[in-house]
Amino acid sequence: MKKTKLGEFEELVLLTVAALQQEAYGVEIKRELESRLQEKLSVGSIQSALKRMEDKGFLTSKFGEATAKRGGKRKRIYATTSYGRKVLEEMKDIRTQLWSAIPKLAFELKAIG
Amino acid sequence: MKPQTLQPPHWPLKFLRFFLKKEYLEEIEGDMEEIFYENTERFSVGKAKRIYTWEMIKLLRPNLIKNFEFVNKIIQYSMIKNYFKVSVRGLLKSPVNSFINIFGLAAAIGFCIFFYAFVVYTFKRDQFHENKDVVFLTTFTASREGALRQYGLSPRPLGELLKQDFPQVTKVCRVEDRNVIVKHGDNIFNERIRFVDPTFLDMFTFPLKWGVSTSLTDLNSVVISEPMAEKYFGDENPIGQSILVKFTSENGKEFKITGVAKKFPSSRSFDFHFLVNFDNLRTAQPGFDFHDWSAFHQATFIQVAQPSDITMVEVGMSKYKRLQNEAVEKDWAIASFQFEPLATTHIKTDEIREDVFREGTHSNLTSIKFLSGVCILMLLLACFNYINIAISTSVKRLKELGVRKTIGATRRLVIVQFLSENIVVTFFAMLFGILLGWLVVIPWFEGLWHFSMEFSLNDPRLWMYLPVIMLITAIASGIYPAIYISRFQTVTILKGSVRFGQRNPITKIFLGFQLVLACMFITSAIVFTMNGDYLANRSWGYSNRDVLYTAVADESAFQQLNDVMQRNPKVLSISGSAQHIGKTHQTTVLHFPDKDFEADRLAVSPSYFKTMGIELAEGREFKDFDGSDKNAVVVNETMVKNLSWSNPLGQQFRIDSITYEVVGVAKDFHSYSFFSLLKPAFFTVADKKDFKFIALKVNREHEQSAFEDLKKSWVTLYPEIPFNGGYQEDVWGNYYEQMGIHGHVWRVFATVAVILAMLGLYGLVAINVSGRVREFSIRKILGADYKNISNNIFKQYYGLVTVSLFVGGPLSFFFIKSVLDFVYDYHMPLTIWVVVIAASLLVAVVVITVATQIIKVFKSNPVEGLKVE
Repeated sequence: MKKTKLGEFEELVLLTVAALQQEAYGVEIKRELESRLQEKLSVGSIQSALKRMEDKGFLTSKFGEATAKRGGKRKRIYATTSYGRKVLEEMKDIRTQLWSAIPKLAFELKAIG
Repeated sequence: MKPQTLQPPHWPLKFLRFFLKKEYLEEIEGDMEEIFYENTERFSVGKAKRIYTWEMIKLLRPNLIKNFEFVNKIIQYSMIKNYFKVSVRGLLKSPVNSFINIFGLAAAIGFCIFFYAFVVYTFKRDQFHENKDVVFLTTFTASREGALRQYGLSPRPLGELLKQDFPQVTKVCRVEDRNVIVKHGDNIFNERIRFVDPTFLDMFTFPLKWGVSTSLTDLNSVVISEPMAEKYFGDENPIGQSILVKFTSENGKEFKITGVAKKFPSSRSFDFHFLVNFDNLRTAQPGFDFHDWSAFHQATFIQVAQPSDITMVEVGMSKYKRLQNEAVEKDWAIASFQFEPLATTHIKTDEIREDVFREGTHSNLTSIKFLSGVCILMLLLACFNYINIAISTSVKRLKELGVRKTIGATRRLVIVQFLSENIVVTFFAMLFGILLGWLVVIPWFEGLWHFSMEFSLNDPRLWMYLPVIMLITAIASGIYPAIYISRFQTVTILKGSVRFGQRNPITKIFLGFQLVLACMFITSAIVFTMNGDYLANRSWGYSNRDVLYTAVADESAFQQLNDVMQRNPKVLSISGSAQHIGKTHQTTVLHFPDKDFEADRLAVSPSYFKTMGIELAEGREFKDFDGSDKNAVVVNETMVKNLSWSNPLGQQFRIDSITYEVVGVAKDFHSYSFFSLLKPAFFTVADKKDFKFIALKVNREHEQSAFEDLKKSWVTLYPEIPFNGGYQEDVWGNYYEQMGIHGHVWRVFATVAVILAMLGLYGLVAINVSGRVREFSIRKILGADYKNISNNIFKQYYGLVTVSLFVGGPLSFFFIKSVLDFVYDYHMPLTIWVVVIAASLLVAVVVITVATQIIKVFKSNPVEGLKVE
């Protein structure tokens, strides 16, 4: 993994963006994450994670269409950059490697202890 | 429940637009709105709105909000954070000094808030009238007693002519007041009703609680004030009820109530109790001549379309001046007409004579000047405390300063540090000050004078005024210590060779100044208290303790009451009069061959002197038989003096066409309160049919029961007429109460000033003593006794206190003398003793303050003292 840090919450948001594809805009991301995490999230936390990751280069965005529901304001559709996807994959690899590195017994002992 | 609109609330959005970065706004606004509409389907609208608002607040994250310039700067100066931490720690470390600083400043700020409330109260007077800039009071100026004076009266035909002759004048309202008796059921009272043109309620903004404002066009309607509605009808709506107004004992008229005014704003100089149509004057006073140029209306108000139109009207006034001056005698000629805008008339009420404004309406300008002086002095005292304590304690902070300078603090930064600490202190002081002013000082002042300033913290200007006061105070008190302390060189500080704080001349000068101020305040308090007693016991020139009086309708009423009271053993003598001391007098012009002279005339029965206890200096009283002394007068001493008569008896003058001769000189008596100068006055014999008052001298022990008897006889004789009399000592209303208030106010000021000065002194002595703990411990071990240690501590203050008293004493004397001369025309003779008393009080307080520290030193264990560090 490179110097660039990806926080835990940021990673979740980034994954959601990747999963939602064309539907990835603020409210949808929030809805998706809320249903998966089973907890309430604030608009502020999502937005600030999105903006941070855009600055770091994990995400790009462009304006989408406006709907009446939004009082005529346009959505901003987010998409992962290739760099973002690479970092996600690296994270996943590191995790898998770590998981496989844990001896089975040690884990169970820890669970008992 | 009212239906809620299906729209997100507005203000959080505005808030968001202000804080959020522009480039994110559209997206986030849209998201928020979408979520809001979604929520409205799941929850109630109210809850959706609450969620919306809460989410908005949670959007305030550093990477979403704008980069505000000043925010950046503060973050750059992260040292500021450190300054605040250090200052709060400093406050907690020495609670006594912090208390002295904060309490002192808080007290001063409390007074400043009160001062603010008073100024606002004064200048918002009458400002509630929507037409305040286009409604004008007609006044005229005339030369009287050698000076040009302004009168609020206007010639009777003027109002109608102005309306006819000037297209600029859109509305005219004439005002005339009469004393009447108002009767509704069992409620019978003396009242003053106001005859006005129906335009009154258009020109003045007195909204109605009930009824219609146009009803005054009807001759039979009356519009009353809220207190009157309560007085006669209680809480019920009185619209449609009738009241009987008796203009004289035979002449009355029924009026129907068609309007009740809302409660008047408390800051007003003009209002009404009963309003009736102006034309009712014809009924009230048959033969009232509306076109008589030689007679006056109480007031004429005009309204113009534009404020600037008034100059056009003013230019055209000269023809009315001619008409007026042709109609009256030469003595009453007027100089010019003037128009006073309603918005500013209240400032001039002291100058305009005989205006319609409420009694007791003063411009307050003197009080404002005086109070601003007191507030500034209080702030000064508090600032001196702060400066003194800051300088003295800074010795403990020299090390900190040295380190700061070594790691790169410039002198400017050190000054900023000390000032920012000071702002912390002043900020706390301001919080306490607001509470003090709001909950203590203002209610106290309002309670004394029985009025409401309608002060509220919800006043945007207050919140502009307060930070200004806070900054000024913070800088005034902080700048000197900051500059003084920051001057020291790093090397000398760290070498430990700087010694200061204990022998700073500036500290002593400030403390001396505080003592001088305290001395002045104490002297004022003593003098005002003593003066109150003095005036209460001073002779009025007549006896006011055992005399009762009441107004009577006419001669027959006088005779009836006289007959009843004559039989009462408690009554010693009875007199009738047309005017009565303290109630009325008639201003009269006396003609001498070479000059005219104005004096107050009192027409009385011959026994009046005996009843009222007026003594004669020369000559004789009136002879007591019918038709006696028709052309004789008794003058008072002031009149003799003003006319510089060497031999007053036998002097003659003319009133109208009758010649009078002086037969006696009465000793001076106060027909006004002691606030005003004695005026020339004279007595003539009153014709019995002119009797308007009855005065009774009663046995002093039975004064109260005699008064009850008088009231009882009145009620049996005239059940239809309200009793209108009282004790002679009460004719000045709350005069004695006013005297008491002056003393009270000064005692409070003095107490606060003394407390402030003593707190400062206490702080200084405490710091001084704690800096010398080791010295005192060694002295004690070597056998020093009380006397020795006391001498050692007192030694530092002998000189200071002596000098302060020698400066403060004479200063206080001249200060209080000028204040007394300014406020009272008659006051107690000032002696040097009041200053001596004040000075001794001050010395006593100083000694007690210092003594507390001496006791502390003496009780402490020298071993503990030597163990320091």
